[in-house]
Amino acid sequence: MNKLKKRVLISRRQMLKAGAIFSAALATGIIPSKLLFAETSQDAPSNPDKIGFMFNNEKCIGCRSCEYACKNTNEWETGAKWRRVIPVSESDSYLSISCNHCEKPACLTVCPAKAYTIREKDGIVVQDPDKCVGCKYCLYACPYHAPQFSDETGRISKCHFCKDRQDQGEQPACVASCPTKALTYGKLTELRKTPGGVAQIKGLPSPDLTKPSWVIIPKE
Amino acid sequence: MEMHWHWLIVIYLFLGGLGAGAYLVSFAAEKGWLGKNSNLSRAGYYISAPVVAFGTVLLVFDLGQGLHKPWLLVRLLYNFGSVMTWGVYILSAFILIGFIKAFLVFMKKKAPTALNWAGAILALATGTYTGLLLWAVEAIPFWSTGIMPALFVVSALSTGLSATALLASVVEKGKASQGREGEAHLLLIAVELMIAITFFTIMLTGVKGPMGIQSAMMAVSGSYALLFWGVFIVLGLIFPLVVYILQFLQKRKSKIHSNTHSYVHIFSDVSVLLGGFALRAIIVLAALPLWNGLQL
Repeated sequence: MNKLKKRVLISRRQMLKAGAIFSAALATGIIPSKLLFAETSQDAPSNPDKIGFMFNNEKCIGCRSCEYACKNTNEWETGAKWRRVIPVSESDSYLSISCNHCEKPACLTVCPAKAYTIREKDGIVVQDPDKCVGCKYCLYACPYHAPQFSDETGRISKCHFCKDRQDQGEQPACVASCPTKALTYGKLTELRKTPGGVAQIKGLPSPDLTKPSWVIIPKE
Repeated sequence: MEMHWHWLIVIYLFLGGLGAGAYLVSFAAEKGWLGKNSNLSRAGYYISAPVVAFGTVLLVFDLGQGLHKPWLLVRLLYNFGSVMTWGVYILSAFILIGFIKAFLVFMKKKAPTALNWAGAILALATGTYTGLLLWAVEAIPFWSTGIMPALFVVSALSTGLSATALLASVVEKGKASQGREGEAHLLLIAVELMIAITFFTIMLTGVKGPMGIQSAMMAVSGSYALLFWGVFIVLGLIFPLVVYILQFLQKRKSKIHSNTHSYVHIFSDVSVLLGGFALRAIIVLAALPLWNGLQL
């Protein structure tokens, strides 16, 4: 009898333990495979030709030339801001942000319509507004708010790294317009070798989420 | 940055769950799992497909291109890696099977077992999908827990049961008994309450970071406090919990089975529906992104 009781107790305890582990995993939303294949944001990109933006926090004077150049070149739809210059209170400076053309783009994963594709030759994440159904799922999925919705046209659009300008040998409009060379671009493998370069500054989402293809040189 | 999912999405998630739950309730009743001669074996089938279909139509209105370029909507089926695409397939199949089943029930014809089960599996998938859709969004801490599908499925069953019971009280007058309906109510509400407590404890203790705390605070003490405490907790969970506990105790004592759907039950069923709606509203509207995108 005693023996039986003991066995029952142990199995109940094991049940509870398993239950606790299971609910903890559920709670944090951790899928075991994520733990096994954890990657860090500073690894070399899987596509060696992938390009990215580099932003020097120290050099930016907050003139918004990049914003205006982007707006004029890409003729933003009403309400869709492809590039934003925002204040950084910690270092009393600015951050110019658009799409980070992530290596694990959440927008591309969640988009039901396959409006997002990755360009093979340079890893640019391209969104085709003509394929967008306007579900706005990517709006929630992107931690950087790169996809922008226009109420007027009922669809998403976002930065495409001025891919057509680049194909003609020109720089992206934002980079070309930056008077202090705070905003530059290049191959990610090279950019990531920049001393002091990081993928996240205080207040930004963790780069582990989407592996953004950008390098920030923070102001001290 | 402004988030763009509002009331249409709230109603859609609510109706998706309710319709799925209603099917499962009638399925369970038909199988005899809710006691002998349960009067719930038909009403749920009648409402499930129309309710889910109506919710889906609302979703179409919410799509930026729903009225603009509706032919683009076929693209919703393109990405097999997107939870939303899964949902569109699941919903379409469920609506189709749901209507066939409802028609057969209405014509008093026996449906093939395979059809009944396919519908039940799709109903469960529909309820799960509404939660999975939100779980998949890692940039919204309030959503990205596996609790979301569990919470939505239980709430789907609970609201489905209430809606089915309400309809049955009208269309099944004088027919059959309530069987184990009360116990089912009690179980579902108790489980939902426990899941809700777990969920908000996890959020408020900061397991999902500061934005998870802020989202939960919006619910418990911020702009959605009335919706949270008044509608979701008190009307949706506590009040029906008390009603069904009392009924359960009374039933054990007297052993007399009542066949009538009393006013108290009508109130508590409506109450459960309001609570289920409030839950979807809170989850969707209190969703805060990891970063607001406006400043650092």
